Amino acid sequence: MHSLVKPNSWVALRLPSDSMRVLQVVPNTTISLGKYGSFSANLILSRPYNLTYELLDRAPGAKDSDIRIVPASEIHADTIAEEQAAANPSQNGEAIIGGDGVEFQLVGENGEVVMRSNREIIDDSARQTLTMEEIEELKREGTGAGKDLIAKLMLSHTGIEQKTAFSLAKYKLLKTKKYLRRFTVLPVDVPLLTNWLREEKDATKTLELRDEMLALIGSWSNVHFASDPEGTPGTGGGRWLVVDETGGLLIAAMAEKMGILYPEDDYSSNPDSSVEAETEDPSKDPQPLEPNFATSNTITLVHTNAQPNLSLLTYFNYTPNAPPPHNSHKHPLATHLLPLSWLQLISPSQDTTYACPPAPCTPAEIAAMKSGKRGTYFHKLRRHTRIKHIVDSTLAGGFDGLAVASSMDPASILKHMIPLLRGGAPIAIYSPTIEPLVQLADYYSTSRRTAFVQRPPAELEGLSQDEIAKWLGNEDFPLNPTLVLGASVQSARVRPWQVLPGRTHPMMTGRGGAEGYLWTGVRVVPAEGRVEARGKFTRKKTEAGNKAEKGDVIKGGNTEGGTEAVVDTGDTEMVVL
Amino acid sequence: MAPTTSPFLHPGPCSVEDKLAIIHLRRDLQLPTILRQRDDDNEGYVEGKVVNTRFGSFPHSTLIGLPWGSQVRASKVDTGSRGRRGKGDEKKRKREESEAAEILTKRSKLAETEDDDGEVSTPPTPKEGAEVVAASSGFIHLLPPTPENWTISLPHRTQVVYTPDYSYILHRLRARPGTNIIEAGAGSGSFTHASARAVYSGYPEMGDVNGSTTKKRKRGKVWSFEFHEQRHMKLEKEIHDHGLDGIVQITHRDVCEDGFLVNGESPNADAIFLDLPAPWLALPHLTRSKPPPLKGPNGIAPTDSVSNGDASPKPFVSPLNPSAPVHLCTFSPCIEQVQRTVSAMRQLGWVDISMVEVSQKRFDILRQRIGIDNGAQRGLQTSPASVDEALQRLVEVEGNLRNFHEQGERTEGKKSEKINPNNREKILESLVEKKVYKEGRLVHRTEQEVKTHTSYLVFAVLPQEWSEEDEKRARAEWPIKIRREDGEKGAGEGEVIGMSRRQKKHAERQARIEKAAADAEIGKAAVEVKEASTATEEPKAEQ
Repeated sequence: MHSLVKPNSWVALRLPSDSMRVLQVVPNTTISLGKYGSFSANLILSRPYNLTYELLDRAPGAKDSDIRIVPASEIHADTIAEEQAAANPSQNGEAIIGGDGVEFQLVGENGEVVMRSNREIIDDSARQTLTMEEIEELKREGTGAGKDLIAKLMLSHTGIEQKTAFSLAKYKLLKTKKYLRRFTVLPVDVPLLTNWLREEKDATKTLELRDEMLALIGSWSNVHFASDPEGTPGTGGGRWLVVDETGGLLIAAMAEKMGILYPEDDYSSNPDSSVEAETEDPSKDPQPLEPNFATSNTITLVHTNAQPNLSLLTYFNYTPNAPPPHNSHKHPLATHLLPLSWLQLISPSQDTTYACPPAPCTPAEIAAMKSGKRGTYFHKLRRHTRIKHIVDSTLAGGFDGLAVASSMDPASILKHMIPLLRGGAPIAIYSPTIEPLVQLADYYSTSRRTAFVQRPPAELEGLSQDEIAKWLGNEDFPLNPTLVLGASVQSARVRPWQVLPGRTHPMMTGRGGAEGYLWTGVRVVPAEGRVEARGKFTRKKTEAGNKAEKGDVIKGGNTEGGTEAVVDTGDTEMVVL
Repeated sequence: MAPTTSPFLHPGPCSVEDKLAIIHLRRDLQLPTILRQRDDDNEGYVEGKVVNTRFGSFPHSTLIGLPWGSQVRASKVDTGSRGRRGKGDEKKRKREESEAAEILTKRSKLAETEDDDGEVSTPPTPKEGAEVVAASSGFIHLLPPTPENWTISLPHRTQVVYTPDYSYILHRLRARPGTNIIEAGAGSGSFTHASARAVYSGYPEMGDVNGSTTKKRKRGKVWSFEFHEQRHMKLEKEIHDHGLDGIVQITHRDVCEDGFLVNGESPNADAIFLDLPAPWLALPHLTRSKPPPLKGPNGIAPTDSVSNGDASPKPFVSPLNPSAPVHLCTFSPCIEQVQRTVSAMRQLGWVDISMVEVSQKRFDILRQRIGIDNGAQRGLQTSPASVDEALQRLVEVEGNLRNFHEQGERTEGKKSEKINPNNREKILESLVEKKVYKEGRLVHRTEQEVKTHTSYLVFAVLPQEWSEEDEKRARAEWPIKIRREDGEKGAGEGEVIGMSRRQKKHAERQARIEKAAADAEIGKAAVEVKEASTATEEPKAEQ
């Protein structure tokens, strides 16, 4: 889908300093890269992504540069040369041990230093003989895309021959990052956006979501493409429930995994757009009154404000709050993303849009209206039918999974979400800090569940399964602990490495901030009536019994479904299952 | 047409016969089983096929047609009197335990045990529809299969790619619905299932039905390769049993030797995952054009096989998608493998090479109860909870000592009769009455067993090929606009706007407002609006 750069699409330009410029490529404009220079946007249009370009020296009198593509062989030239030098030690006369280019400090028998170490090096910037003015002058001249400048800098460093290969490489890298006029064109997709937002924008706005956690949420909420197979509507399922307070990042990640993130033009292979595209063609019915939302492969978003905050979806050319005939209309998210507020979910009767349909008008009345008034009438009617459809279909429940990235108390979210999930539906809740998730896991701890099963709260007596599922909890049991299985908390973290000949090691610096944690569980349907789980009577201690006895603590939320009646009939046995 | 869909992708509301279901005993103890009404392996149960667990026996007839997530009680199954296992409970229990142990150690040999059972000499014919009576030995939950619980429960054949790794890999590989992904070294199949879910965008046979009328859709597919014959056969059977036939294509091959073409055709891969001992040997097969002789770090071509491949007279067919960047990930446990792989990648023109490792952790969450309690409650750490409590105890001991020295006797009465705190009644009482589940401090810590290292992940991208002719064509389509310092307009220049990002944003916003206003005016005729908007937005999009 990201083969060539399309006009007006969002791209990211990665600079040698590893910083990103995210911008829209508008034809016939100029893109400025600050100190590196500027070039015509047309020079990257209709070109492939992931190519690296170099700003050429400006022609006399020109304000902008031309650019050229840097082939991969040139990008890696230095490293390959280094590798080959390491492989043929005889050529440069340096003692290399092993074929991998690792250098060691070696002192010969007569005390002669065979290898250079950094003992002789004076840590002083004064060793660079070029003055600031001279460097500035060189920069202005700007020849060879900065390569000349770097070479000159290295030549004028008095201590260059004393540097070890390590510090030499480091010095060169440093100068390269500063002066090399190269950039790489990358498509704006979810992984790139996540990293860019976290590293260069306000990370707290996206709850400090990292790539690996976003990926984990996707896996544990089992989100995937699940459109109805043709000819069998209603069988595909594939409806996911989402609470997203990251400005749309989680929605984007899920939509990407469901194949509904990239607009059709951009996404020639959009898997399920063809059916919808035909039925919802606005030209056939300029005032569609029936909501034509997709029934499968959808995301239902519950949002905290009156309008959902989906600002990040702009990068995928979806602007949800724009009026309907706007460009977003053909975007797959227009029919597959169903937003509703907490008010509309919990108490729809208090929501004006839902509860108060516009007074019905006869066709004659409509015909008699002024065009502006008629437009308003249709707009209101459309909004009402839309919300009514979303609310009613959401309250019908049967969702296939729940993904949450929110700063609200997760228990308060689950209270209302659990009844809407079908049995076996996975739940994944992200939190930048672990404490809310620990609390939540404790609500589903084995001992709490056992107590619940042994003596269910009095108010639940005589209620049906459905009513019990909708129970809002009490002080002892904020959530019904029998409705969720396998509550557990996990985290994952990626550690980047540098791989260079002889200099392979983990990156020296990284970004701190929130670690990021994920709570997972599965919605289950408890059997009706009392469930006995005595286990088999045996004198022999089971493994679990031994463990529970030795431990100084009651196993909490980490233990899983298994048997609720924790207690065994054995004398000293407690099966924590 | 009733196509058979995979329970991984379309589980439906209920469990269905002949499809995979996961029997959830505990979080790390889950049993995959294909639900069968009849017992084809003739295990000899009256009830048909039966799953035996440490929580009792579960005839499949009690599991079919249930809503997913249902809690199922165990049934009374006569496990003793069938076939060769007529020796009484002793043997049966041993078998059950060994079975559970097998699963615990993740060495479940389901296939083998099934084979064993097939050897029963005179299998009694199962009686259909035998009455099932609930037993009180326990229960299980019936879950739909997902790549996650499959990864936990699958029969291990090789090292498994676990969820934190595969989720991150698929995310970075941009494996989305419609992607063609190559997986070399399928192994136990956990990555196979996860990538099938990621790239799935409909079954191919269904697309053919109305594919002619609508725009052709790209179907995502997993092109899986495995060089170990037995693993390949087992995986092939699994894929078939799991209804993933059209989505996963498994080939038995050593890709380092024979490349990635399937029946001479290109998989058109957009993403590649290599879980091989020597990925650098497979890389020369993953090029856009005929590979140059690869030089190893020692300047020697690593294998002869590569050059053999080159020598073949067939025209070169690249296994890669020619019109998209190709993302690659290799999965190697050792740093030396990484170094060789990266070196080969550099020579073959891969860019954005980066290496990471994923560390994963799971947490124990528990209530820590500390305090002095003479009743010695279960789960209570009997050390003072605070200085006050310690002090109080010291004073008490001091008093006892003084009594002893002054009166020469022990103070009696303190010794109460010791009651075992861990019998059923006591535990229930402490849970239900005393609500110990709310006591103590809620804490978390990393689980006992941590996977501290799985493998190093090397990522790289191979951009689309871009020839000089392509560049010429693009330059003709989009003439270059270069501003002159003297303000003079170059040839063919219209409105060149050199603007900062802020200026550009402002202009964009302005344009959007104007367009929205225009749209509102037109209002009724959405057709016109559409045309107008496309016309104003993308004047050259058609080209």
